[in-house]
Amino acid sequence: MFAAFLSTLCGTLLSVCVTALAAFAVTLIFKTSTTTNFAQGSIAALGCYVTADMLNKYGVPVYLGVFVGMAVGVLAGLFIDIVIFRNGKSVNAVGKQIITMGIVSIVLGGIPLVFGTPESIPFEAFYNTQKAGVSPNFIIPAFGGEVVVTKHALICMVITVAVLGTIFLLLKFSRWGLGVRATASNEFTAELMGINSHFITAVSWAIAGALGVLAAVMYAGSGTAISATFMTTVQVNAFLAGILGGFSTFYGPVLGAVCIPVAASCIGFLANFPMFSGISRWNMVIVYVLMLIVILIRPQGLLGKPVAKKV
Amino acid sequence: MKKKNPALDALRSPQGQLLLFVIVLSVIQLLNLQGLVSSSFVQAVGNTLIYAIVAIGFCLLLGYSGLATLGTGGFIGIGTYLAYYMIQEYELPFAAALIITIAAAVVIGAVVGFISLRIEGIYLAILTLGLSEIIRNLLMVIKSTVKIDVDHVRLFGAKIGSTGVYFLILAVFAVLMWLLFNLIDSPTGRAMLAMKNSTSAAQAMGISLMKFRLMSFVISVIFAAVGGLLYMLFIRTITTSTSTLLTLTTSLNILGAVIIGGAKSLWGTTFGVFIIYGLQSMFLSNIPFFRENPAFITMVTGVLIILVVMFFPGGFAQIVSQLWAGAKKKLAKPGREGS
Repeated sequence: MFAAFLSTLCGTLLSVCVTALAAFAVTLIFKTSTTTNFAQGSIAALGCYVTADMLNKYGVPVYLGVFVGMAVGVLAGLFIDIVIFRNGKSVNAVGKQIITMGIVSIVLGGIPLVFGTPESIPFEAFYNTQKAGVSPNFIIPAFGGEVVVTKHALICMVITVAVLGTIFLLLKFSRWGLGVRATASNEFTAELMGINSHFITAVSWAIAGALGVLAAVMYAGSGTAISATFMTTVQVNAFLAGILGGFSTFYGPVLGAVCIPVAASCIGFLANFPMFSGISRWNMVIVYVLMLIVILIRPQGLLGKPVAKKV
Repeated sequence: MKKKNPALDALRSPQGQLLLFVIVLSVIQLLNLQGLVSSSFVQAVGNTLIYAIVAIGFCLLLGYSGLATLGTGGFIGIGTYLAYYMIQEYELPFAAALIITIAAAVVIGAVVGFISLRIEGIYLAILTLGLSEIIRNLLMVIKSTVKIDVDHVRLFGAKIGSTGVYFLILAVFAVLMWLLFNLIDSPTGRAMLAMKNSTSAAQAMGISLMKFRLMSFVISVIFAAVGGLLYMLFIRTITTSTSTLLTLTTSLNILGAVIIGGAKSLWGTTFGVFIIYGLQSMFLSNIPFFRENPAFITMVTGVLIILVVMFFPGGFAQIVSQLWAGAKKKLAKPGREGS
């Protein structure tokens, strides 16, 4: 039974990675631009389409294709920050939020026009299960049973840990990281201290765009057919992870991103017991309700600090 | 000397405009009954009106209380499922269904609002988005496809058919619009506006933030649920897992409509709904290019939203009133010189 439980946990590995990347991207933008980027998922889907086209139509190697897709994400992020946000007359926080919703509409409308219908493209990346002819799973005998992990999830985990680890180190030790933290705490003061907050914000948008596409490619690589809206669920979970973990730190949302899929699969696992046989239909509802209760008790999030507002 | 024209004066008041609007839309349906207008056009008009009902409720929330929420889709869903259970399963007449829907919306709105309004600003949008997802998941688990027979739709004991439902939607829209116009001009509306402009100043004037926020939130939930109820009567079927009606898309579209039209103007909002929902289904679907590329208008909407937020924070209502003021100046000048 314990081995089966471990397998269930390993099954969430991929969605933990995807949600963590998306949640970090959302947090980065939230802290430097004080807005929630609703276009996160759509830009990710756009980059993923480009990658899928590269792989399927032109036979480009996987890593190069992913790189090009991420470049599209970077360009989209830079476009939003440099072209739109900076030229707006008086764009406040809610205005920025609504602009990102406008971007969602543009991407949703644009993808069928550019990439044509049918909108769904089969897509495999990092570990090509069909061509390799080898088992896609890693099986570890343990605890009197077998723990099953997909190789794709393992590769994704390594990439996620490497990428997020690098960025956290950069945040902690590089000049850019110092700039981000200063801009996040107070943009005006940061500018007075000689920090080029325009540059910081633009780089943050670029990184967020790239991370979003990386997450989308990982998610799609598990065999999901991609569509213009296939990242919506991930994005919603990323936002909720941010709220759950608290937007005041960078690692809070990542923690939240681990909690949500794990909690969902734990609740789903209860279905193995006869008492809870019908529970798997309800697992997302239960997770969301649990999260609401946490937020009711701690509105600032699990790791957040309460914000004192000055008048 | 300015001439007094009672008909023009009546048109300047929102009530007069509302009356004209209702008359025009009634004529469309009557023309359809005579076979002069296609019934798909009337279907599109009715559909747009339903979204307009939801949007004017949202207009109060965003434009007057300054709260941006993304739960609209879920609240519409509550209305549709209530409509199914009351009208199809329990065969209640419309009036009873309407009262129960409003009562349920008040309860749900109050509970949800009480939880989510503890959090301010940007967080509120994300939290209501989460709540909307809960509602959608819940409804999907309860029943995946709901369907109403047209024979079950009864108003005061009489079967009204789809033509009757169209007039019903028009009547509900008119009544709700009229109520909102009055609410905005009342002390409550003023308090909400004060709260939007400065929470601190509003509090200093003795306005309870929670009370008025909750009130506008509940009103917007009522409008969304009534919209869902009417949607169910008019379209009569919905499959929750595939329909975008209860998802983030609808919430974003409604928000987009309010922004494009002008968050402080109810007529502007109605126009915004027309741009987002009506334009495609009423007119553009006759043009081959738009029929083959239905996604194109979504893209245009996105561009419009961005341009409006960037350069015209007051939306189309602001553009129109600026043009109107400019035209008036030009008209007034030669008149003064002549006298």
